[in-house]
Order: sequence, then C-alpha cells, then structure tokens
Amino acid sequence: MIGLVVTLVLVPLVGWSIGRRGIGEAFLFGAGLTGALLFLAGVAHVPLVVALALIVVWGVGSGVWELMHHSRTVQSTPHHAIPTIVMCIPLIALTFVAAITPLSDFDGRAFWVLKAKGIAHERAIDGPFFRGATLDPRNHYPILIPLDGAVILGVTHDSDDRQLRWLYLGFLAAFALLIRERIDRLVSPAAGSWCAALLVWIPQIAVEPEGGALSAYSDIALAAFAAGAFFELVSEVSGSRGLAVSRCSAPSTPRDRPTAQPRDRTICFGLWLAFLVLTKSEGLPFALVFLVIGAFVFRKRIVIPAITTVIAAMALFVWRARIPAGDEEDILRMLPTIFGKLHHLGDALAAFPVHMFLFPRWGLFWIAVVIAAVLAWRLDRRAARVAISVIVAMLAVYAGVYVATDWVVSDLIAVTADRLLMHVIAPSLFLLALASSTAQRTKSM
Amino acid sequence: MSERPLIPRIACALLLLSLAVTTLPRLLALVNNARTLLPMGYEARREKQMGPWYVSVETLRRQLPPHEPVALIAGPHDVDSAVFASYYLYPIRTRLFVGRNDYRNASPDPTLPQTIVAVTADRAARTTYDALRDRDLRAGHRVVAAPALSEPRTTFILPMAASLDGPAPETFVIEATIANPNPAPAEVRVTFWPKGMVRTMMIAPGATVAYYDAVHQLFGVLDRGWMRVDSSAPLRAAFYFANRGHGDATLLPNVTGPATGIIAAPIYRDTKLFVINPNATQVTAVVGGVSFPFDPHAFVSWPVTKVPIVSGDVYAFVATRELNGRTDFLWPR
Repeated sequence: MIGLVVTLVLVPLVGWSIGRRGIGEAFLFGAGLTGALLFLAGVAHVPLVVALALIVVWGVGSGVWELMHHSRTVQSTPHHAIPTIVMCIPLIALTFVAAITPLSDFDGRAFWVLKAKGIAHERAIDGPFFRGATLDPRNHYPILIPLDGAVILGVTHDSDDRQLRWLYLGFLAAFALLIRERIDRLVSPAAGSWCAALLVWIPQIAVEPEGGALSAYSDIALAAFAAGAFFELVSEVSGSRGLAVSRCSAPSTPRDRPTAQPRDRTICFGLWLAFLVLTKSEGLPFALVFLVIGAFVFRKRIVIPAITTVIAAMALFVWRARIPAGDEEDILRMLPTIFGKLHHLGDALAAFPVHMFLFPRWGLFWIAVVIAAVLAWRLDRRAARVAISVIVAMLAVYAGVYVATDWVVSDLIAVTADRLLMHVIAPSLFLLALASSTAQRTKSM
Repeated sequence: MSERPLIPRIACALLLLSLAVTTLPRLLALVNNARTLLPMGYEARREKQMGPWYVSVETLRRQLPPHEPVALIAGPHDVDSAVFASYYLYPIRTRLFVGRNDYRNASPDPTLPQTIVAVTADRAARTTYDALRDRDLRAGHRVVAAPALSEPRTTFILPMAASLDGPAPETFVIEATIANPNPAPAEVRVTFWPKGMVRTMMIAPGATVAYYDAVHQLFGVLDRGWMRVDSSAPLRAAFYFANRGHGDATLLPNVTGPATGIIAAPIYRDTKLFVINPNATQVTAVVGGVSFPFDPHAFVSWPVTKVPIVSGDVYAFVATRELNGRTDFLWPR
C-alpha cells in the first residue's frame, strides 16, 4: 500500500515541481526526473539517500507549491464520456490484477526489478551488485526505471516486488493520459480521447505477459518518454504555424493552448531525450533520431536538447566504464561487422512487417496506421512527416541492429519485435488522429 | 460527437473491436485468475503461480546464510530457473554456473562460492559438489561394459585408487567389479590408503557387485591413494582406472607385493612416478640413486621426465598422458 501511495503522490509531485501540467505528463516527468537525478548523483558519488532526500524535499515542496499557486494556463477540455469509459475499463481491470497477482514476467525479474532491489539494498549504482557480486546478466542496461523502483523499495523498506506493481501500471496510465491530452491539444478532443482508449486496448500493451502493463519491462516507459519527446516536436511544428487540422476545424469546445514557451519546450524536449537515454539501451539511438529530426524543427534551439542528451549519454558511459559488462551485446562494437552479416538483411527487413500484422498482438492497429499515414500526409504534410520520420527512422535503426546482432536473428526478432514496435506507438496514434481529422475535414468540405 | 462523420467512427470502432477481440478475453482471464488468488496471502499466490519450485526457493532463502555467496548450478536448459532463483534469493549473492563443469573450471578462483545450490525447473536445493558429481556419474554409463575379471584371490593391492576431477571433462574414477564365485558368502574388507579408511561388505554366493566410482561410493571422498582388498573367500575382480570425460580406461593390476622394476616405455606429458609403501612400517627406497624414507602405507608421487630406476621394499609405477589425453601406466615387472 505504501508503494501505491509513493507512486501516486511522490512521483507526480516531482513532475509538477517543474511546472503545472497534466497528471499523466507530471507522472512521467516525475519518474524521469527522479531516476535521472539519482543516476547523475550516483555517477558523481553523491550518496543516493542524500540525493533522494533533496529530491523529495524539493519535489514535494515545489510540487505542492505549483499545485496551490499556479493553475494551468487554460482550463482542460471536457473529455468525451464514451472513450473515457472505454479507456478506464482495461485500466481498472489491470489495477485489480496488478494489486493481486505477483510479478511473473522474465525480463522484469531477471533484470529490471532485480536491479531495483540491488540499488535499494546497496544504496549505490556501482556497488558490489553491479561489480559481479551477484548474478546480473545485463549489467550495462540503463537504470532510470530501476532507480525509480529502488526509491519505492527504499521508502517502503520492503524489497518485495509487489511494491513496484503500481509503478509499471502507472507508466501505462500516464502514457494514455499524455496521449489524450496532447492529441486533444494538437488535433481534437475526440481524437485524443479515442487514441488514449485505443492505446490501452492494444493486446501487446495491455495483456501481453512479456512487455505488457503487468510486466516489469521498461518498454512502456520508453514509449511514454518517446511520446513526450514526439509531442514536443509536433507542438513546435503546430506552434510555428498551426496544424492543418487546427486551422481548418473549429472545435466545439475550448481547447488547451500549448502551455510551454519555446524555450521551455526545448528544455522539456531535452529532458525527454535524457530520460530515453537512461531508460533502455534503445533510448540512445532513439534520442539521436529525435535530435536529428528536432534539428529541422527547432533549428538553433536544438542545442539545449543536445546538451541534455550528451550529459545523460556521458553519465551513462562513465557509469558503464566503472562496472563490468554483462552478457548484453555491444552494438557499437558490432556495427563494423555489419557488412559481413548482410545475409541477415532479409529477416531484419521482414521483422516489423511480419509482426505488425500479428493479429493477436496488434489487431488491425498497424494496418490502420499505414492507411492513416497516407491520409495524414495529404492533410498536414509537415506534421505527418515528423511522425513518419520518427517511426521509419527508429524501425530502420532496429532493423540495422537485427542485421548486426550475433544472436540468432529469428530468435531475437521473435522476442523483441513487438516490444520495439511499442516504442513508436505515440507517432502512430498521432497519425491515426490526424487521419480521422482528415476524414472529418473531407466530410465537412 | 453527433457532428462527426460516419466513416472515422466506423473505422475507429472496427479498430477498437480488432483490439478488444484479443484483449478482452485475456483481460477477463487475468481478472478471474486474480479473483481466485485474492483469498490467499501474497506468498501463497506466488506458490500457486510457480508451484513447488517457488516453495523450494523460499525454503532455501530461510536456510542459506544471508551473507555468504551462493553458486547456482543449473543445466543448460535450466538457466532461466537459476536466474529466477537469483531474483528471489536476493540479497543473498549468487553466481551462475551452467553445469557442474563450469563450476569446477572456476576452482582456481579464490572467490568461488563454496555453498552450492542445484537449480532445475522443478526445484532448487542445497547440495555439494560431490553429490552433483555422483549424480552425473550415476546417470552416465561406465566406460568398461565388459570387465575382464581376474583369477580368484583373497588379498590384493590396487596401486592406484582415485576419484578426482581435473579441468572439464577430465573425470577420473575407479570402475570396479567384484564377483564371489564361491558357494558361501564372502566378507570383504577394503582399505583406502594412506587415509586408512575401511569399508566392510558381504558379497552373497555367486553375486557380483559393481561400482562406477569405487572410491567415492565406498569411502565418500574425492581423493587418490591405493587400496587393499582382503576377503574371507577368493574373489574375481576387475578394477579399471577410467577417465569418464575421455571414455578411456586402463585395467589395474591386482598386486600382491612390492615391485620396482618399471618397464621402460615412451613417456609423454604430465608424467609422474608413484611410489607406495604397502607395509605397516617405514621403509627406505632408492629413487634415481637417492634414498628416501617412506612412511607406512605412504602414497607419494612426483613429476619425472624419464622412467627412473627404483629399488627397495615399495611398489613403484609411472603414469604418463598421451597427447590424446589417455593415461598410460608403466607397471613394474
């Protein structure tokens, strides 16, 4: 129960400490900031307990202050009842299940929660746990999420994984709320509500034992942070000249205006990228892709996100240099070997199309996204280009890794492709929202 | 909503339906499962989920010393179980070894955990290296399927008796077969020297007893030395020095007394001279022109580069390893 309270109260308060925002976004910012700051503190050999105490005092104090003294710049849009109910059904069911059933997935127990236990027990990120004193097969995995977990385990004085069930479910709920709020702002309230509802009904996300909301994988968190970064990009695009859908449709209800100033937006974008780098190994290439695309959108202001990304990446490399590697693959070292492994190319290129059409995992989702991409391109080429660029670039990077891997490619694809597809859910849902508005616009014309 | 066109609504409904058709039944199954677990305590829920395997890990967690590292030894197909055992045993520190060979190859490591837990998909249990080795040997096949039994004797010496492991896959054992051809039971006394460990057994008339690892099975040790066999009735026996890792075996002579005239033959690598003192008193023997005292029942070896000349009231032989790993013995005349 204490784990639930810490997850629901402390994490969002830390998120609110840097500005009033929706609870979903606050939760994601809170989790990202807590993990990232503790990681930097750990790399700098600041005792984690001291760093956590400072974060709690500062986060709770300024979070409460923000809540009490700064209302959001505009009132939230009233949300549609039906999609809201549709969204809540799986979330309530998953909450019930998470409260009762113990953790049972592979990666959660083998890597992620074990790291959280190790950090909570040793109160360090480079203690004996990470120096080979215990079995930790993926020692170099980034540890932002395990640090969040360690905070909860530390505060509750309980190393049982039941305390962490809420954190992982919280990421899905926060992700859905972020989708709803941002697409609401960017496209329409109805689109936002329905996209959030669709998100929580995707089998791979809702009920898949490996990587779903009931597992302790970090893929939903990574997808949520990627969503945050993506929406900052699209907000910048829409802020500069407005999305086509925004220009041509007249919502019946008042919509939130983007609350962030351009400078704040680049800072937020940079923070999301830093969170990506520190959450999973895939986060670093993801952040680089965002930086490249962001350079076209933010232009000179990309320097700020680049700096935060470099700081996070440097901290990650410094930390990794201090501890022995596990059995994870070093993709950077494998890249030069890619030309000798071009026979993997066929499998790598087929990986995502094959998995996108796995009905039990994705239903018709990806078919809809492909159609939506075409429609969205016709409505708002620039916004659609950003979304499509993010999706294609990331899937290309992942396909490149499949070519370079030393694992049996088909085995690796079988266990990872669906989870990697989760990472690009936000731009995909945005394309769906844009396309639905395209159809609406066509009708109205 | 009423102003929205029909096509996006239908498309959205179809899309949602395609997702719900998979998610909803699985969600209901998860909820139902949770309802059945609800009356139980949290640990009982884990036991229900993971069965006896989790119960065994819980038992271990209570039994193992909290600050002592543990070696988790699992077969190649049980590595996942070992990873989960590590998770549930934490903060007890664990190191994973895939198979017993992985563990024994790490024996030079001073930080090698001495506490061993054998993990399978069914259970995790504290054990010893000897027990794991014995389990593996018992499950395998003897090298010599048709042993050549000696002529009947009541007393004899085996100049080499060992149960030892080298680096994987070297596994040295004595494969023994003892037959009682007499119409009366035979009381057999086996003594393992120089430790002086004694084991007595009865062999029924006409019965045959066999050992895949005689030293360990009879005396419960991993060691080397020599053995003396005393029987109340003449026995036919065959003792093979076998390397289970390489699948080769050498028939050991049933020695009756001291002998030192080692037959010259080619030697290869890891060549050692072995000298045993079968007497109950100290003796002096000359090895390569130098006199050495040997304690009663001594078993002494040292490396040599050629077959030495040995004399005295001792039994001496040379062991050498061919390039293919096979052990050759040069016995005295």
